[in-house]
Amino acid sequence: MRKHSVKSAAIVGATLLVVAACGSNKEEGGTAGGSCDTSKGTLTVGVVAPLSGNLSALGIGIKQSAELAVDEANQKCTVKGYKLTVSAQDDEANPAKGAQAATKLSTDPNVVGVVGTLNSSVAQTVQPILRDKKIPQVSPANTNPTLTRGNDFLTAPKRQFDNYFRVCATDDLQGPYAANYLVEKAGKKKIAIITDGKTYGAGLAAELSKQVAKKGGQIVGQETVGEKDTDFSGVIAKVKALAPEAVYYGGEYPAAGPLSKQMASAGLNVPVMGGDGIFDPKFIELGGKEGDLATSVGAPTESLATAKAFVDAYKKKFGKEDYAAYGAFSYDAANAIIGALAKTIDGSAWDESKRDAMLTNVGSYSGSGATGEVKFDQYGDSTNKVLTVYSVTSGKWKDVQTGEFTG
Amino acid sequence: MSTSTVSTPAATAPVEKRSALAPLGKPFAVAGGVLGIVAALLPWVTFSLNDGNWPDKSTLQFFDAPFAVTGFRWHVLLLGVLVLVAAFAPVPSRGRVVRALGWGLTIVSFVNAAYITVKGGGLAAITALDGATAFGSVVGLIAGVLAILAGYGIGIEPVGEWKFKVSTPVAYLVLLVSFGAVLYAVAAMLTTGGVGASNPYAGAIFLSFLGFAGGVLGALSGVGFVRWLSALSEQHRVFSVIVLAACALLLPFTDAGNEYWMTVAANIGIYAATAIGLNIVVGLAGLLDLGYVAFMGIGALVAANFSGAATAHFGITLPFPVAAVVAAIVAGIFGAIVGSPTLRVRGDYLAIVTLAFGEIFTRSAQNNIGGITNGSNAIPGIPPLSLFGAEFNKSISIGAVKLPAGVLYYVLIVLLVAATMAVFANLKFSRIGRAWIAIREDEDAARAMGIRTGKMKILAFLIGATLAGLAGAVFAHKNGTVSYESFKFLESVTLLAAVILGGMGSIPGAVLGAALLFVLPEKLRDFEDYRLMIFGLALILIMRFRPVGLIPDAHRRAEMIERADENAEEAHVEAKKA
Amino acid sequence: MSVLLQQLANGVIQGALIALIALGYTMVYGIIQLINFAHGEVFMVASYGGLATFTLLPDDLKKSPAVALPLMFVGGIVVAVLVAVIMERFAYRPLRNAPRLAPLITALGVSVFLQEAVRVWYPDATSNLPYPKVFPEGGLSLGSVNIAWTGVLLVGLSVGLSVILQTYINKSRMGRAMRATAQDPDTAKLMGVNPDRVIVLTFIFGAVLAGVAGVMFGGYLNNINIDMGFQNGIFAFTAAVLGGVGSIRGAVIGAFIIGLIKTLAGQYMPGGTQYDYVWIFVVLILVLVFRPQGLFGEPERVRA
Repeated sequence: MRKHSVKSAAIVGATLLVVAACGSNKEEGGTAGGSCDTSKGTLTVGVVAPLSGNLSALGIGIKQSAELAVDEANQKCTVKGYKLTVSAQDDEANPAKGAQAATKLSTDPNVVGVVGTLNSSVAQTVQPILRDKKIPQVSPANTNPTLTRGNDFLTAPKRQFDNYFRVCATDDLQGPYAANYLVEKAGKKKIAIITDGKTYGAGLAAELSKQVAKKGGQIVGQETVGEKDTDFSGVIAKVKALAPEAVYYGGEYPAAGPLSKQMASAGLNVPVMGGDGIFDPKFIELGGKEGDLATSVGAPTESLATAKAFVDAYKKKFGKEDYAAYGAFSYDAANAIIGALAKTIDGSAWDESKRDAMLTNVGSYSGSGATGEVKFDQYGDSTNKVLTVYSVTSGKWKDVQTGEFTG
Repeated sequence: MSTSTVSTPAATAPVEKRSALAPLGKPFAVAGGVLGIVAALLPWVTFSLNDGNWPDKSTLQFFDAPFAVTGFRWHVLLLGVLVLVAAFAPVPSRGRVVRALGWGLTIVSFVNAAYITVKGGGLAAITALDGATAFGSVVGLIAGVLAILAGYGIGIEPVGEWKFKVSTPVAYLVLLVSFGAVLYAVAAMLTTGGVGASNPYAGAIFLSFLGFAGGVLGALSGVGFVRWLSALSEQHRVFSVIVLAACALLLPFTDAGNEYWMTVAANIGIYAATAIGLNIVVGLAGLLDLGYVAFMGIGALVAANFSGAATAHFGITLPFPVAAVVAAIVAGIFGAIVGSPTLRVRGDYLAIVTLAFGEIFTRSAQNNIGGITNGSNAIPGIPPLSLFGAEFNKSISIGAVKLPAGVLYYVLIVLLVAATMAVFANLKFSRIGRAWIAIREDEDAARAMGIRTGKMKILAFLIGATLAGLAGAVFAHKNGTVSYESFKFLESVTLLAAVILGGMGSIPGAVLGAALLFVLPEKLRDFEDYRLMIFGLALILIMRFRPVGLIPDAHRRAEMIERADENAEEAHVEAKKA
Repeated sequence: MSVLLQQLANGVIQGALIALIALGYTMVYGIIQLINFAHGEVFMVASYGGLATFTLLPDDLKKSPAVALPLMFVGGIVVAVLVAVIMERFAYRPLRNAPRLAPLITALGVSVFLQEAVRVWYPDATSNLPYPKVFPEGGLSLGSVNIAWTGVLLVGLSVGLSVILQTYINKSRMGRAMRATAQDPDTAKLMGVNPDRVIVLTFIFGAVLAGVAGVMFGGYLNNINIDMGFQNGIFAFTAAVLGGVGSIRGAVIGAFIIGLIKTLAGQYMPGGTQYDYVWIFVVLILVLVFRPQGLFGEPERVRA
């Protein structure tokens, strides 16, 4: 392919000395990538998550964890005959941008499935677009129950989108589980609720307060803060006057950490509890204090070999542990798609007529992932209903109770 | 799209200043042209990059196959030839033409060189490696710089002016051909590099194409063609708008006619329509509005609540046309309310008032005020539009031609943009429009001349907000979800930037500005993280170097140039004093 | 009752912070009639500057607040001043004779740029960052009212610095030059005042105060994020307008009023803390519409 000519040879002579020091990343032996057979081409796992803006830390964790899963699959030749890639699209945590990103992925015949989204509000626009193309969507982070079971999710659940699955537990499990712990185990009867008003936090808090009332506790007050607020003194003064025994925060760690710290310095020394959104080392770094509580999905990492393997592999690939709150879920979500794809293809070639089989296979997928067992029920929700309560003990999250929500 | 301009008589403007480069002008132009052609035929990259071969067989020696030049090399070749033509042919304002072409060459060469260097892991990728050589980009860069210098050497004369008249049929033909060329260019621009995900070099290909297109456009503008064309289209306004709309409607039949680009184009259209509304407030009446996107949000919320979505709150489902009208009216009422402080507040204070209203809207929507916005849960599941049983989000077939999904939305939005453009144009040249411009220029003088300034200013807000509300209603159905997050401060700034970038008060400007601000991020996913930063920088630079925007309004341009002259005069006086 | 007292204390501290930022707005507007929209971002950048200074300190110095704290202030102030001077020189100065909207739009651009620059280039700035614990812990307890020591320090610094500033502007030669330029730049120039120098100095004063505010903000609330500049900038701007743009005393008093409105509205108005932000904007609109010269400003001779 490369031919020489006299003219260019002359130019080389003149400049070779100058550029001798210049480098390149030319690889010998082409770009086949590993020893697997990838003769049939490349298939794509899409990711839709906020890669820019305020939530980008969570979004990038989702994206990189999916990349890790795809890399491992490529190394293990999980999908015969194909190389897998990740195509990550930014939704900026904005439903409209999410729709654009989903459309972009859905017009590509080689996209076999999508990992995402982070925000439930974005999921609502992405779901129908991907459904029209029968592309499976596995969310690592949407916890709003209506996404799978509709508005009457408790009384009359109805599957909303046959292409939509999620690997995380919904608010209607996590909230009540936290309520049981607070009221029965920790003996906190008077609970104040603070949320950031977003789908995740408000939904979680709503489910919690129902269960608190059922168990004989009392919600003494409810306040909302902005997700970008840094000064909570006004809210704290209001809550303090209600003399709660614990504060439940529905939201994520960037606000929860400072809130806990500012509560302490305002003289309100009660534990803060939250969901998996605050279960992050950053929470403690930002001011989470001893005795603060969080629920999280699945059994503790230490008790799961698969979780540790994920953390190690992630650290090896990206250098640091910034997989954030939903990295492990994203890894599992990507693996569910890859596993279903391997089963769908099984030696044959991919084309769009396989999409129906692909959906069925995602639905029947079962495996052991970084968050525990990964399997979906008839609505597309995760069957993994194990929850763990963690508490801040000497500057670290420590598990105090693991179990399933039983009512 | 060739420069069929050679035979036109040009106004021979005397060249005032001769730089030191003057005697080198022509030789440099010739050298630049020749080197450009040479560059196109040299290889550009030394090895097949790890992400896949650089597009268009860049490792190939085209001296061995000179007729197989494609892609960016074809552009380089074309630019080189054009520089040579400009150097010898009697082209009006030759300096400008050569300079513009030189910039085109430089940008194309630089973009490709930079990408290859980065992707190839070092300068060896664009110079020499293992006996393979690739000096195409280096030679191209030299050619570009030479041509730019040649441009200055020849002298930057005023833009050529074409005084000759053409008969109506000829004018129609010229307009048809030109707009057809624009359609082709737009389709090419959208499709170059494919749909991001599939091509790792999409960003580079796109930027390179942009450089080429910019160079050619600059040359055409320098030669006076663009100004002549815009005068012509102004003269035959109705015909132009019809042709332009027809061209826009033809886009689905080009290569860009796939679902993805239809969606992007429809979104651009929605923002373009909103930007045109904002242009009434900012461009014509000179009232800076920093909370404008709130009106779009109000329109979207109203439409969403009447749409029959599961979480709609009014319990009434209105057909879309009715809901859209209601949305527009409600937004218009809010526009009048927000505009009412203009009776007492002016200038940048007014900007702050509008910002405050915008923030109040965002906060209230976020907190689900009155239970109608659903807060951050948004209002999802807004049904797509349908007309005579054709659902707008499905693909349709006309005879044997299968059109991509979303094409009906695209058509609807093209019509919407055309309608807002018509409203804008009619207002601009009406009594009201002149009153607005008078207010913008000098409010006190306008009042002294008998213009009821208060009424006029509120009217500007009202009409602008109505258009935004209408766009918002379409937005709600197009995207299926309405969330307060789509209507934050930054969106207002983006819209404002679209207006300023395109040219305040100019009709095509707002469309161009919106298109650029929404296409670029789609194409430049590589720079995703820097998108907003570049955007901020762009605002600063535009204000500094080209405050009139890309397609300045004629009146505005006159005003700015006059002002620049005054400033120059002042500087002159000061220099004398010193 | 104790809630009211606590909220009053919170409001005063909030006001002290806003005052430090508002002074920058009011001075710049007084001199060149520019709403320096990016001033809030100068405050934000200063906060990150202080944090960066701390991060760069050797470990043994990190442990001694007596050394680390002053160095953080210096770091924050230096960063703020640098940003402000560059901004003035390259973004605003070329536009001094441009149409009025041009500098305002430029200011928006600068604001977006600074915010994004910090987000992209400062490590982990995408989400809230914790501020180092070198500030005095604990606080005053008066009955059931708790006031953090950092809050007390913030109020002290704010009041002290504004008194110094006011004195400087009233008494010093440079202060007189500033007042002269504000009143009539052309005549001031004829009298031998170098307007460029005066303007740069104004920006520098504003930046120093914003620098102090930025570091104190981190100390008081323990966490910073890139949105803090926009939010607090708006509060400060409102305070400056409320007090009468151009008036030092007005800006400080306006700031305390805004701080109190925010906390009291959050406590007692319908909607609670969710809408405290909205009330500030309502006040802003009302002031601009009905008393654009503010509480202490002179009626503008020519409003443009």
